Amino acid sequence: MLSRVAHLVYWMARYLERAENTARIVDVNDQLVVDMQSRRDADDPNAWEPLVFVSGSDEKFHELYGEVASERSVVDFMLFDKRNPSSVVSCVSLARENARCIRDQLSSEVWETLNTFYLRLKDDDYSRFAQVGSSEYLAGIKSQLQLFFGVAESMIPRNDGWWFFSFGRHLERADNTSRIIDVKYYMILPDLQAVGSALDVVQWASVLRSCSAYEAFRRSRKGELNLHRAVDYLVRDKFFPRSMLYSIARAEEDLVRIGSGTQSSAVEKVNNMVTALHGQLVGTDIHAAIANGLHEFLDHIQERIKAIDEALFLAFIAYPVSPARVIEQGQSQS
Amino acid sequence: MPDLFSSYEHGRFYDEMFVSANQPRPHYQRLYERFRQMENIGELMHRQKIADQTFINRGVTFTVYSDDQGTEKIFPFDLMPRIIPAHEWTILERGLTQRMQALNMFLADLYSEQRILKEGIVPREMIDSCKHFRKELIGSHMPKGLYVHINGTDLIRDGNGDYRVLEDNLRTPSGVSYVLENRQVMKRVFPNLIRDYRVRPVETYAADLLELLMHLAPEHVPEPTVVLLTPGVFNSAYFEHSFLARQMGIEIVQGDDLVVENHKVYMRRTNGLAPVHVIYRRIDDDYLDPTVFRKDSMLGVPGLFEASRRGNVALCNPIGTGVADDKAVYYYVPAIIKFYLGEDPILTNIDTYLTSDATERKFILDNLPKLVVKSVNEAGGYGMLVGPHSTQAQIEEFRAKIIANPRNFIAQPTIDLSRSPTLGGEIIDGRHIDLRPYILNGKKIKIMPGGLTRVALRKGSLVVNSSQGGGSKDTWVLSDDSSPSASLSAPETPEKIIV
Repeated sequence: MLSRVAHLVYWMARYLERAENTARIVDVNDQLVVDMQSRRDADDPNAWEPLVFVSGSDEKFHELYGEVASERSVVDFMLFDKRNPSSVVSCVSLARENARCIRDQLSSEVWETLNTFYLRLKDDDYSRFAQVGSSEYLAGIKSQLQLFFGVAESMIPRNDGWWFFSFGRHLERADNTSRIIDVKYYMILPDLQAVGSALDVVQWASVLRSCSAYEAFRRSRKGELNLHRAVDYLVRDKFFPRSMLYSIARAEEDLVRIGSGTQSSAVEKVNNMVTALHGQLVGTDIHAAIANGLHEFLDHIQERIKAIDEALFLAFIAYPVSPARVIEQGQSQS
Repeated sequence: MPDLFSSYEHGRFYDEMFVSANQPRPHYQRLYERFRQMENIGELMHRQKIADQTFINRGVTFTVYSDDQGTEKIFPFDLMPRIIPAHEWTILERGLTQRMQALNMFLADLYSEQRILKEGIVPREMIDSCKHFRKELIGSHMPKGLYVHINGTDLIRDGNGDYRVLEDNLRTPSGVSYVLENRQVMKRVFPNLIRDYRVRPVETYAADLLELLMHLAPEHVPEPTVVLLTPGVFNSAYFEHSFLARQMGIEIVQGDDLVVENHKVYMRRTNGLAPVHVIYRRIDDDYLDPTVFRKDSMLGVPGLFEASRRGNVALCNPIGTGVADDKAVYYYVPAIIKFYLGEDPILTNIDTYLTSDATERKFILDNLPKLVVKSVNEAGGYGMLVGPHSTQAQIEEFRAKIIANPRNFIAQPTIDLSRSPTLGGEIIDGRHIDLRPYILNGKKIKIMPGGLTRVALRKGSLVVNSSQGGGSKDTWVLSDDSSPSASLSAPETPEKIIV
């Protein structure tokens, strides 16, 4: 398929996966704040600040909203602010713009599901959010996105376009799950002595819930819920679809489909990078990772994911023009 | 009993449907009967609504950028078809074929020996000063000896009902997708009428176009790859580009999808660089290759000009065809036909005056309020003065422009375009129309029966362009003229449209 089209499809998937996880991040924080109220004021800037920090856009946030992070300003910024390229509205709008450029290659149902969602979402704001109620509003966003992914899954033919879509989604999810874990880490940072307390258990339960992982965790890992076990589940579970390891393993498979039949050192490089990251996650000792600094560990994974994105771009999209990359007549043109 | 046509005004124009009140022309008799069966305008308006909804559902839209959002609009469609009897079409076909042959020979000559200039039939300074003439191409060979492949010749009918050529479009004529979509919609709304009329099909156009494009591929390539090059999704004709690409089963590409390496063209696929042999380009010459033409063009492909000059890739239309649709060159087309073919033109031009000729310029300047003045290089109804509909200030503005740059204008008398009954609000009313047939010049010349009938939907307006309030009608070319009025079929039930 055309490189430009593949790139648009890949980013469409990433934007939408990001939108879903941003909704999840806001949701988990909302619940954490409720749990914290006994010991802290809910308007404590420390309760909302971590979100902005973890999404990697704290500079932009403070530039737009000033020093202090309130619930309202953070929700506005993360969900509705078009000036924040990672807000839910921005992500859905960018994904829709990508889809519009390849409108003729998407089935009508795929396009219409996304377009209808976009049209309904684009004028929402904080007052609508508050009116509907945060958890119901966010559940609505998530189910719209899941509807889209469901339609896409049942409609998109399994050729290169699909594998780019799937790769983008899995890569983004691995990154986003790491950020959701990070939110929690930031919240408990001043309270390390509380690890293992009843409150801590409640908080980890809500982090798992935000990834829809609570029940799955309970079923697959019988026994105590604590920091190490919750983090290990979200980072390293082989079967849970939102875990980082699972997402990277699927991305690895997607990439094999994409790269089959293409021989270039750049393709080999990106394949190796994903395989190496997979291997690293498999081999991680979560106790050691936490002891050495969970934030640093997650940050490092995010860096590797970013490097994979760049390597993908050089392997399939903006590879240098050279006679070696010319496809001889008669070779497959999928 | 009053019918849909009882209050129809014929006006002083040639009417496509009626000779006089209640007296339709023979080929419109059946349509007339069919519409008289309708009890009131309500049924027609209902069918119009069905048609409009079908266009929206099918996504047959063009984009208007009045704000940064970009609104998708349908190209307004009128349900009353325009009918061309077989004997009239035969003449049009001959005339258009003759014109295409002569224009191809003219371009071939301009880019080689330039006999026509040497013999003074067309003044050399006219060609040298034309901004679409590409001197760089003189002496280069075009695939299969074809210097132009697609022409959309705009025809109008004057007050006597005679067909006249208004202009040629030899660069990237658009609108053919509407012809194909209009027919699809009409088949749903009036299935029986179309069958009974034995309307000639238009559906082979995409296959004919693909055959033409394959014909242009370099000889040595066994399985050539053809692509359509679009300026992108923001272009107002993007629907047509993606429609044609889908119909032909070819890739639609943008400038940055193509690269030139060693004077060969490739498209950038995820698995590598795939060779491209023929480009149906919907981008003007100026934007095609920033290394040769406009340096600021982000739409084009660096090196494309040289790749095409060396015959590694065929462009359709080739670079440099625009010189033959310059409106001042248009003036010479009758002489061009005579020069190359030794024939008189079958289709005549509209009387045209050149501002570059001193005598004619004086006549033009003395008669501006009566004339239409056009810039020679503009299209889409822009850059023109319609004398009778203009203020004194507008006329003086054009006078100054003409004096400043006489090469840049032509003038024509205002033409009374023919009118065709059209649904205007809640009545059927006469509206001015023209016709753009599409002529393909490949192994042989092929013309789709009919073409795009454009209609000026604003009452009294003579401007049919979509950018200026125009719409379109389905154009029915009849297989033969023997049958029209005989029997009436049962009233039709339009297909139900699921909304």
